[in-house]
Amino acid sequence: MEIWGSVLGGYPRTREERHALRDLERGAIATHELEIRTLMASSVIIGSQEAVGLRYVVDGMVDWHDMFRPFASAWRNVTVGGLLRYFDNNFFYRIPVFTDRPDPEYFVWPGRLRTFSAIADPQPLKVVVPGPLTFTLMSKNASGMSKEDLAASIASALALELRAAQDSGAIAVQIDEPMLSDSDISADDARLAAELISSMVSGLKVPSILAIYYNVPRDDVYERLLDTKVTYISLDVADAPSRALDLIAKKGFGGHRPVLGLIDARRIEDDDYERVKEWLLQATRGYDGDVGVTTTTWFDTIPYRYSLRKTVILGSYVERLASEVSRL
Amino acid sequence: MSYQVPSKFPTTVIGSYPKIAGASEIIKMRDKGLISEAEFHEKIRRPIAEVVKDYIEAGIDIISDGEQSREDMVVYFAHRVKGYSEGDWVRIYDNMYFRKPIIVDELRREASLAIDDWLYASSISGGRPVKFIITGPYTMMEWSFNVHYKSREELIMALAKIIREEILDAVKAGAKYVQVDEPALSTRPWKEEAELAGEALRYVFAGLEGVKKIVHICYGKLEKILQYILDYPVDQFALEFKNSNFRLLPYLKEYGYDKELGYGVVDVHSLQVESVKEVRNAIDMLMKLDILPPEKVYINPDCGLKPLPREIAKAKLINMVKAAEEARRAW
Ligand SMILES: [Zn+2]
Repeated sequence: MEIWGSVLGGYPRTREERHALRDLERGAIATHELEIRTLMASSVIIGSQEAVGLRYVVDGMVDWHDMFRPFASAWRNVTVGGLLRYFDNNFFYRIPVFTDRPDPEYFVWPGRLRTFSAIADPQPLKVVVPGPLTFTLMSKNASGMSKEDLAASIASALALELRAAQDSGAIAVQIDEPMLSDSDISADDARLAAELISSMVSGLKVPSILAIYYNVPRDDVYERLLDTKVTYISLDVADAPSRALDLIAKKGFGGHRPVLGLIDARRIEDDDYERVKEWLLQATRGYDGDVGVTTTTWFDTIPYRYSLRKTVILGSYVERLASEVSRL
Repeated sequence: MSYQVPSKFPTTVIGSYPKIAGASEIIKMRDKGLISEAEFHEKIRRPIAEVVKDYIEAGIDIISDGEQSREDMVVYFAHRVKGYSEGDWVRIYDNMYFRKPIIVDELRREASLAIDDWLYASSISGGRPVKFIITGPYTMMEWSFNVHYKSREELIMALAKIIREEILDAVKAGAKYVQVDEPALSTRPWKEEAELAGEALRYVFAGLEGVKKIVHICYGKLEKILQYILDYPVDQFALEFKNSNFRLLPYLKEYGYDKELGYGVVDVHSLQVESVKEVRNAIDMLMKLDILPPEKVYINPDCGLKPLPREIAKAKLINMVKAAEEARRAW
């Protein structure tokens, strides 16, 4: 079994970055000064992942206010409205408001990839986009379109984004669908997500990851996802291990390669290595391909210093697991 | 002074009230170390007196101190329990951050936490009972970071011990209504979480007699968590109904709910003042389901009134009390 590591998504802001954003809002600094600060913060974040040998590196997305915002800004016919709780976090996102089908004015990722690839070099970067179902269900639909049509139009815009990212050097693309873990999601919605995501990644040459986190999907929802045409399915294990492992034991990964959220990204205490190892062994019983080890969620709800510590924990545990587990 | 709480549909509050002018500044002075804890509780009496006055004028039967001392339901206690550090910055939204408390050492309660304000409110309540309100162990755990305790089980029991000590002292001081707030529970509405919280609450309330034991939960997926908490050793759940358009009501029937109910009939996230008729209809809606007798139904807002302007909070309470009076005649 080959084991590799990757941080799931964004990092928290450094104090410098927070202050720079505040200063920009006040008009005290210019945009290029913010860009320099962001570059500095992102460099440390990229370096910390490379130093511990993670396979897929992220730039940290420290300038994003929430997962939807950069796309809402880049697309015509979308604005942002009031705040709403983001899953079970004490964090609130701004609700995207769609007045018509999204029409990309520019792409979010190619520019970032150009800037950050130079820092990450020789390691290429992973890009992350919100999934079409999560985007649709967490937005306000004032477009007059049906939910299905809006979701399809968001998927089309995101597909263009992924293609542009691949062309700009992305090593992998990740599609985040935390809504699929919501206990109220319908099997029909899951089927819709599977179809749209399959079409988004069709024709891509780089590996694709469908990431589901904050909770464990229901059995019937998960079943619908198993024929999604992605390379990897990523599940949050450490947040609710018994339910996650139970689901994996029952349903497996449907021929996809697994990515396991074993490092808790929402708690700051060090993860227990033996438990992480036990979860990995349980989740991969009878499987002998490559396995990704990741964080349960993004790092953006813990303080900055702990995100760096957790990066080191992830990297060092992956190294230990690779040597111990492959010897078993 | 004695006050007769009505036997049917007593009115009450969940706890927090809009911050009276000056209260936030007093909190800041204390946090900066400019005044001592004793001076702080002395100074905060003026805002508390204003809140109590509003409650009494509105006609609330069982009141609170309005949580004028608490800038936040977790941070207030974290600042006063030994073993917590000042915390570290996490984002709430956009570029807005707050210092989330971190448990860095063994937790200890070195002095009472919230009893001073309760005593003061009780001294000016005209005999009305004042709820003693404290944030619960599950919510303290979930809304703090921890680097000291090795497991969540160990951590929640350490918090439960402190909360129990505080409640025992409050009861010794005369508290008859004790409310533990657990809003975090409805954000993770799973059986194993409810069991973890339940074990801690069993310890918190063990052996407490002659005291009304209340747990408040709000928002999130209340209808999911409800089935798992019915065996908690409490007399009453005070729950949010209005904001989620009373979707919880059929579940009470389904699960055979038979504890007392703190019935949330006022939305604290809407500036619209509910009319007497609207509140009365909400009470009738519950009573027509024939789940509980009027003696087991307490009428209260969904949650603390803190998010509202003071005039609106008070206007909502006035209509709520009038509706309860009408309901007493009807049921
Ligand atoms: Zn509440």
